[in-house]
Amino acid sequence: MAVVNERKHVVPSRPVNTGPTLRQQVSERDRLTEETGHYYGIADLSLRDADPIKYERFYNKLHAAVLAARESARFVAASPGSREMGECLWGITTPEGDTLAVSMGFLSHTAIFPVAIRYMADNDYDVNDGIEDGDVYAVSDGKTGGVPHPGDFYTFTAICHEGEVLGWAVGINHLMENGAPVAGSWATFSVDTFMDGLVCPPMRTGRKLHQESWWKAIWERRTRASTMNILDDKMRLAGCAMINNATHDLLAEFGAEYYKRAIREVIEESRRMIVDNMRALMVPGTYNGCAFRLVKYEGLQNVWSHANKNTLIHVRASVEPNEKGLMLDTEGSSRWGYHSYNATPGGADAAVFLGMINSFAHNTKVTAGIELAVQRHYALGSIYNPDYEFTSNANLWAQTVALNSIGFNAVSRATFSRGYMEEAFTIDGNWGAFQGAGTTADGTSYGFTNFEWLGGTGRGAWCYKDGEPLVWAAWSQIATIGDAEEFEACVPPLFYLGRKLLPGYFGYGKYRGGPGNSAVHWCVEPGKHVALTRPNGGLSCTTSVGLGMSGAYPGPGSFMISARGTNLPELIKEGETPRDARELLAQVDSGQLTVENLEIWKTDCPELALHDHDLFVDAAGSSGGWGDPLDRNPQLVIADLNDGVAPDYDFVSNMHGVVATQNADGDWTLDAAATTAKRTALRKARLDESLPAADWWQQERNKVLAKDFVPEVHEMYSQSLSFAKFDGEFRRFWQVPAEFNFSKE
Amino acid sequence: MASEASISKELISQLVEGTIDDDNATRLQRLPRKDQDRFMNYCAVLQARVSWQDQILLRLGDKLYVVRNAANQRVVKCDCGHEFGDYRQNWKLGCKVRVRRTLAEMREVYDPAPACPEPGWQEVREFFCPDCAAQHSVEVVAPGYPVVFEMLPDLDKFYRDYLGQPLPDEAGDWYADRTADLTQRWAASAAG
Repeated sequence: MAVVNERKHVVPSRPVNTGPTLRQQVSERDRLTEETGHYYGIADLSLRDADPIKYERFYNKLHAAVLAARESARFVAASPGSREMGECLWGITTPEGDTLAVSMGFLSHTAIFPVAIRYMADNDYDVNDGIEDGDVYAVSDGKTGGVPHPGDFYTFTAICHEGEVLGWAVGINHLMENGAPVAGSWATFSVDTFMDGLVCPPMRTGRKLHQESWWKAIWERRTRASTMNILDDKMRLAGCAMINNATHDLLAEFGAEYYKRAIREVIEESRRMIVDNMRALMVPGTYNGCAFRLVKYEGLQNVWSHANKNTLIHVRASVEPNEKGLMLDTEGSSRWGYHSYNATPGGADAAVFLGMINSFAHNTKVTAGIELAVQRHYALGSIYNPDYEFTSNANLWAQTVALNSIGFNAVSRATFSRGYMEEAFTIDGNWGAFQGAGTTADGTSYGFTNFEWLGGTGRGAWCYKDGEPLVWAAWSQIATIGDAEEFEACVPPLFYLGRKLLPGYFGYGKYRGGPGNSAVHWCVEPGKHVALTRPNGGLSCTTSVGLGMSGAYPGPGSFMISARGTNLPELIKEGETPRDARELLAQVDSGQLTVENLEIWKTDCPELALHDHDLFVDAAGSSGGWGDPLDRNPQLVIADLNDGVAPDYDFVSNMHGVVATQNADGDWTLDAAATTAKRTALRKARLDESLPAADWWQQERNKVLAKDFVPEVHEMYSQSLSFAKFDGEFRRFWQVPAEFNFSKE
Repeated sequence: MASEASISKELISQLVEGTIDDDNATRLQRLPRKDQDRFMNYCAVLQARVSWQDQILLRLGDKLYVVRNAANQRVVKCDCGHEFGDYRQNWKLGCKVRVRRTLAEMREVYDPAPACPEPGWQEVREFFCPDCAAQHSVEVVAPGYPVVFEMLPDLDKFYRDYLGQPLPDEAGDWYADRTADLTQRWAASAAG
C-alpha cells in the first residue's frame, strides 16, 4: 500500500492584516500628495533637519542593501545575460510601490513598481488572501504590471511589520528566453498579448522568501531556456531576500515610526532636488521631436490576417518645463495596432525616465521623486495607452526608446542653450540584438537571446567633440557588450568570426557620432535546427531619431545580412573570413565569398533558419552627429581616414569638403588649399540645389493635398491626425481645408 | 569643487571652440551644482565671437541665436548676420531646403549602403542659411511631415524666473508659436 507523505511544512491559515489595507495606503498617499503638492504631504524634512547624520545613515543602509543585493545575487545564480550585462537591478519601495532606493543597473525599471503594487491594491490582494512578510510575487504583464515587455521579469517580495505592509523588495532582469511563439525575449511578430510568451499579472509564486515547487515547472514547460531562467529566478529572489532581511534590521535599529516617516522624506527630498535641477539646467519653452519605426508584417502574417499589414509608427513628443518639473506629451503618436510594438503607460514610463533620471537625479537619491517631477500625457487609444486590453507589448522597446531619445535630446538642447555645453550630446537609442531557438543533434532544445548590441553602443556626438564607441547605453550606467564566449556557450552552433566597430557607421556632422558595432556569426553543425529573428531598435529603413542636432545627420538605424549557402570553408583555408558587415559585402562584391542566398534586412526579418557555414551579420549601435559637417576640422577627417574609422575617401570628401592625398604606405595627408576650394563649392551647391522654404512649402503642400504618399505614410497620418493636437499642427502647417482628412475613402 | 564655483570664460570659450580637454570637461560634468553665472558668461563669450552687435538672448544652435536686433525685435539670427525673422516663427521656414528623396541621394549622407533610410517612408531634409549656406538642421521624416519647430523658448520666463534678470521688453505674447501666420500668408499667396 502506498504511503502518502505527510506534509512537512503546513502553511497556516493566512492572518488578517491588522494595519491599513493596501488600497487605503495608496489612497492616502495620493490624497496627501495631491492636496499639498509635496510627496505624502511632507512639507518639512523634519527628520533630516533634526539629525541629518542619522537620516543619511538610515538611507545609506537602505541603499547599501540594494547595492549589495545586486553585487551578491548575480554571483549566487544567474544566466550569463544577467551576470554579464548591465540590466539587472534591485530596488526597495514604499508600501504603495514608490521607489526608495535602487542598485546599479537599468534604473528606469523603477517606473513599473507602483503599477504592479497598485494593481494588487485595487484587486485586494492583501484582503484575499492576505500578504505576509516574505511573500513572493512574479510580474511580467504590461497592462497590470507596467512592465516594458514580458522579456523583463520582476520578482516582488513583501516586507511586512506587525501586520502591515511596509514595503517591497524588487528584483528584475531580462530573460534569456520567455516562451513566445517567436523564440527569444522580444516576440517580434506578436499580434496580441496571447503571443507574448510568459505573461504574468502580479501573482504569488512563493512564501517566506521561498518559491513554491510548482513555479519551477512553469519555467521548464513554458520557456525554452528553463535552466537560465531558473537561475535568474533564484538570483532575483536571493537579492530580494537580502533586502528583506536588511530592512528588518533597519526597522529594529531605527524603529517603525522613524522608518515610516523617513521613507516619505527621502522621496520628497529627491523630488525637490529634481525639480530644482530642472530649473537649474533647462530653458523654459516647448521642445518638439519625432521618430519613425516601421513594422513590416505584410506578407508575413497570413495566419492572422487582421495583422497582415505594414505600419509606420510615428513617435511624437513635446517637452515643456513647468513649476512642478516638466511635462512630456506624446499626443500625436500613432494609435495602437495588432503588432508587438505597443506600449502601456508603465512601459512608456520605463523609457521616458531613462533620460530624466540620468539628467536630473545625478546629485540626489534615485527615488520615485522622478515620477512626481516628470508629468506624462499618453493619449488614450494611442500606442502608449491602448484602449484595447489585449495589445501585444512584446517589443515595445523598439519604439519607446525613440520616445526617450526625444525627451533626452530636449534636455541636451536646453543645456546647450543654457551654456552647460559639457552636458549636451546627441541621444540615440539604436540598439540591436538577436534571438531564437534550436535543437542540437542529440535532441537538446534551447532558446536564446544575444544582447550584445543592446548592452553597449556608440554615444552620440557631444556639442564639442566626437562621440565615443561602445560606451553608451541609455538604459544603464554599465555599458557592456558582454563576453563573446558566454554568448557562444548559450547558442551552441553560432561562433563569432568577427566582432568589431563598423567603419563609417555613424551620423556625420562637425562632430561625428560614436561608431556602431557589427558582428559576423558563423553557423557550425547546427544539429537538427537553429533559427533566429532580430528585434532591433531603429531599423535602417528609418533613422532611430528624426531630428539631427544643430545641422548634423541623425545616426543610421540597424540592419542585418543573412548569407546562406556560402563557400566559407574555402575562405577559412585562406584565412580571409569577413569580420563585419562591410567586409562581408565587399567579399561578396569581389566574388571572394560566394553566397546562394544573400539578403540584406533593413526591416524586420522573418525567422531565419541557418545551416552549416551560413553567416548571420548584424550592425547596430550607431549614433548621431552634432553640427554642420562642413565645419568639421579637416585634420579630424584625415585622422578618421588614417585610423580606418571612416574608410571611404570619396564619401567623406564630399561629406566634409576635405581633399586629401594618399601616399604609397596608405597614409592620408590634407590638401588645405583644395579643401578650402571644395568647401566653397559645396556651400554653393547647397544654395543651388535647394529651394526657398516658401517655394518648397508650395510644392509639398500640393503633394499633401493630393495625399501622394505610400500606404504606410498615408495610414500614419490617418492615425496621428485622429488626435487633436497633431491634427491642429498639421492643418496649421499645411493650411489644408477643413474637410481634408486621411480617412480611407 | 564648491557648489558656488564660477567657471572662467576661458574654459567656456574652449567648450565653444571644441578645444576643451577631457579632464576639464569631466570636471565640469562632475560639478554637483552648476555654476549659476554660466549663462551670462556664455552669452558674453558668444557675443565676442560674432561680427554683429545685436544682443544675444539665447543660443539655439552652433551658429544660430535669438537676438534683439537694432529695431528692438527678437529675431533668429545666423552667425553670418542673416536674420530669419520673429523667433516665434519656426526659423526653418526662413531657410533654403534641400530634400534627399532617392536612395542615391541618401547614399551621399549615409554609410554603408544598408544604413540608408528607405525612400517613400522617409526623406532627408537639409535646412541651409540662405546667405552663408550653413546647414542649421537636418530632419529625417516621412514625406509630408510638418517641419518640426525644434525649440520655442519662453524667454520672458527664463530671464525673469530662472535667471532673475527680467528682459526690458517683457510682454504677454512673447511665448506663442506664430509659425501659422507665415503659412497662412503663403497659402493666401498661392490662392492668388
